[in-house]
Amino acid sequence: MTAETIIQSLASGLLLGLLYGLIAVGLALIFGLMDVVNFAHGEFLMISMYATFFLFAFFALDPLLSAPLVAAALFVFGAVVYLLVVRFAMRAKANAGMVQIFSTFGLAIVMRGLAQFFFTPDYRSVSHSWLGGKTVSIAGIFLPQPQLMGAAVAILAFGGLYFFINRTDFGRALEATREDAGAVALVGIDKNRVFALGWGLGAALVGLAGAIMAMFFYIYPDVGASFALIAYVTVALGGFGSVFGAFAGGIIVGLVEATTALVMPPSLKSVGIYAVYLLVVFIRPRGLFGSI
Amino acid sequence: MTISRRDVLLGGAAAAALAPIAARAQTSEVVIGLTYPMSGANAQIGVDAQRAFETAVDIINNDQDFDLPLARGTGLPGLGGAKIRLIYADHQGDPQKGRAEAERLITQEKVCAILGTYQSAVAVTVSQTCERYQIPFMSADNSSPSLHRRGLKYYFRASPHDEMFSAAMFDFLDAMRKKGTKIETLALFHEDTIFGTDSANAQTKLAGERGYKIVADIKYRANSPSLSAEVQQLKAAGADVLMPSSYTTDSILLVKTMAELGYKPNAIVAQSAGFSEQALYDAVGDKLEGVINRGSFSLDLAAKRSMVGKINALFKTKSGKDLNDNSSRQFMAMIVMADAIDRAKSTDGEKIRAALAATDMPGEQTIMPWKRVKFDEMGQNNDADPVLLQYVGGKFVTIFPPQAAVAEAIWPMK
Repeated sequence: MTAETIIQSLASGLLLGLLYGLIAVGLALIFGLMDVVNFAHGEFLMISMYATFFLFAFFALDPLLSAPLVAAALFVFGAVVYLLVVRFAMRAKANAGMVQIFSTFGLAIVMRGLAQFFFTPDYRSVSHSWLGGKTVSIAGIFLPQPQLMGAAVAILAFGGLYFFINRTDFGRALEATREDAGAVALVGIDKNRVFALGWGLGAALVGLAGAIMAMFFYIYPDVGASFALIAYVTVALGGFGSVFGAFAGGIIVGLVEATTALVMPPSLKSVGIYAVYLLVVFIRPRGLFGSI
Repeated sequence: MTISRRDVLLGGAAAAALAPIAARAQTSEVVIGLTYPMSGANAQIGVDAQRAFETAVDIINNDQDFDLPLARGTGLPGLGGAKIRLIYADHQGDPQKGRAEAERLITQEKVCAILGTYQSAVAVTVSQTCERYQIPFMSADNSSPSLHRRGLKYYFRASPHDEMFSAAMFDFLDAMRKKGTKIETLALFHEDTIFGTDSANAQTKLAGERGYKIVADIKYRANSPSLSAEVQQLKAAGADVLMPSSYTTDSILLVKTMAELGYKPNAIVAQSAGFSEQALYDAVGDKLEGVINRGSFSLDLAAKRSMVGKINALFKTKSGKDLNDNSSRQFMAMIVMADAIDRAKSTDGEKIRAALAATDMPGEQTIMPWKRVKFDEMGQNNDADPVLLQYVGGKFVTIFPPQAAVAEAIWPMK
């Protein structure tokens, strides 16, 4: 094993990890806000990839240009999902947790089925894009441009989110609602509105990730499944509800996956991720940066 | 009129008495079960398979002028012109769902035979279930060699398996070597279910026998979110020939990742599956100029056998695609099975099994470059000669074996 192989692995792992973080952060945000795990998170990713693909196929819009549009569309979609599904699921008096799980899980199955019905199960790809297939090579280390862009977008999104939560009124309302949803009503904050916006924001972030991923990944109705699984472990590892935890968790997952593949057969590379997660559970069950 | 309880009982008794007659009358229809992935990662394969089987059944049920068994005349003459009806079951690529669906097809839908399944891992459980109920199972497009070596009486496969396919690949590599091409090292890249594992085992054995060195043997997890670690290892090994055994999703990601990491072998010789699928070439065709793929079908055969082109046209109107390695095998499996049912003159599992075992269909009466269809005692057809195809200028041309070839291989690939 040469130094070049190791550096290349770590670099690829880091780029992928940042993207994992971007995919996971919406999940962490929604969970932190209202203790609901969105089991349709992978399907949110899937429809944002399809949206990017169709904008490309019909309007020749490059994924970089369509990314803000897709994020905006997903924002609306996320808010609507909250208002039409989750809001009612949360009213359950008994077994509220189960009702939430099954309602978002049901949503996932419905979205997947509709995607297969309307878009066919065929594999789509954005065949040409400004960055697609382009690579930066530094001293024998190859860094694909779409993934570099993904990493940059992830860092910007996390920066923006940090600023948004800590420095704006809405961010403070978000934090306050999360602390005590009952008390905020007394100061005139509409809980439903904050939750809907939280869902919108979470979906918009995964929409951003989907648009970037459409540049280098294939698209089909089940594409979200394997990424969603990684998003769940990322959130659990980084700490439930912690936005920074999702960021750090993503990077850790990406790097651990890359290192595992260096020392073990690649078919076992996800073993490393879950081994690290089990270790974290052992030491810090709420996750590395979890506050709850 | 009021209906008393006695009327109902009488009516029931009359219906029960008539039931056997009704059942007998139903032999005007022969029901065949098909189990495929219709949802999940390989759902498109199931959709295309449906079109291939429909094409075959259209030809059997209607009068068509092809030199193919059962094409002329309508239905199955051995069963008084009975028509074939197909019932599909979705196994989602999951062996356990495959087992349950096969059970349902046999006990509830009363199918007289089952064809399937694309993924070899699912064929394992489906064929075991069929064996238990004594219903013939035919692997239309499974290629794992271990499938026919399990001592099953009701298992049949008309198409080649991966040892035959791999042997053709190594015959080809040997021929290239003889011409002076330097081929020393190979890299295997295969997914981690029975398809990839069996394929890699066959290739490892052949490489040892024929004096090729395997410098990388990468087994990866199917549908991985990323293959960059895997491709790096392939790149570091730097073999002369890359031999992937991958389904469509992983094939797309493999080719994209290879381009991103600047890895380009002299040749890719692929074990079909994803490398036969249009979706791969739509996505990354520009990076695949010169890729070599094994197959059991070649459209080049249409020049010699005109019905191949006509049947391809029929399939294309249904699916919008040309027949490929997968859909051609599905088509042929239906013809072979229908031919056996017709000769059995019965929908009884044991009789169909006996008729299948007695099959002897000359190659000219198929759409394949095969010598003939004749099963050995394990249910495998050993006269199905594979071909190698090269992707040149947006289509596949046959390059091997010499008797089927229409062009010389381009080596190295672009």
